[in-house]
Amino acid sequence: MNTPQEPHKKKEDCSNQNECLKLLQAVLDGDATPEQREHFLKEHLEGCMPCYKNYNLEVMLREKIKTKCCSEAPGDLMEAIKQKVSQLASR
Amino acid sequence: MEEILERPHYSQSEKEAIFNHEFLPHINAMYNFGYRLTLDRDDAKDLVQDTYLKAYRFIDSFQQGTNAKAWLFRILKNSFINDYRKKSKEPSKVDYQEVETYYNSEEVDRQITPDLRVESLSNMIGDEVSNALNSLDVDFRTVIILCDLEGFKYEEMAKILDIPIGTVRSRLHRARALLKEKLSHYAKEMGYTKS
Ligand SMILES: [Zn+2]
Repeated sequence: MNTPQEPHKKKEDCSNQNECLKLLQAVLDGDATPEQREHFLKEHLEGCMPCYKNYNLEVMLREKIKTKCCSEAPGDLMEAIKQKVSQLASR
Repeated sequence: MEEILERPHYSQSEKEAIFNHEFLPHINAMYNFGYRLTLDRDDAKDLVQDTYLKAYRFIDSFQQGTNAKAWLFRILKNSFINDYRKKSKEPSKVDYQEVETYYNSEEVDRQITPDLRVESLSNMIGDEVSNALNSLDVDFRTVIILCDLEGFKYEEMAKILDIPIGTVRSRLHRARALLKEKLSHYAKEMGYTKS
């Protein structure tokens, strides 16, 4: 994903921040149409400071979740499952 | 389990191949999902094991070429609701309906405006994000794991959770707002907010 430019004309207020946040979520989750995506990333973000900040925050949040919220299965679980399944299969 | 009209009848060796090559590789993701649902490592192990045994037993209702991970996640989530949640102290579905109605109201949109800064978040290098996620209601934790960690599309999430796609969208929106709110509390406690 190409990083949008920091807004040069910093509009400090977003008229509809909650709707923008919903759109931002759709863009980041791959649920937005190509037109929505293009408009939001290339036009809206470049002119809107609150949404630009939100964008960076949402991207960082997703990164943190990816790196901090995963855990590996205990080593013996795979073997235990295989064993139970082979019992089932031989029945 | 989903009813499928024409079920394949796999041979014993086909079953083993599907199980070993399409199901077992998802064990880490399954365990993590189980852990985020139950918040208990032993319960997560049991849940994952039960899920895999069910998956094997019902393997004829799995269509090869479809998304095995989504299929397994759906079984795990159903096992959690039917077998585990009944025994536990998690709020029932009825309580949850109220929670969802509350969180979907416009009131909350105005109330939740987390003032979390990207700098504060980047400083959280310990367990803060994981703990904040675990503190959310189970249905909110679930959508974040499915979307952000496992990369499921909204449509796949709707199928895994048996909810409409609009509910996926609004539940995610709410879940992220609550997560950021929790993290902004942590940031304040840790003194990250001053600058
Ligand atoms: Zn905006």
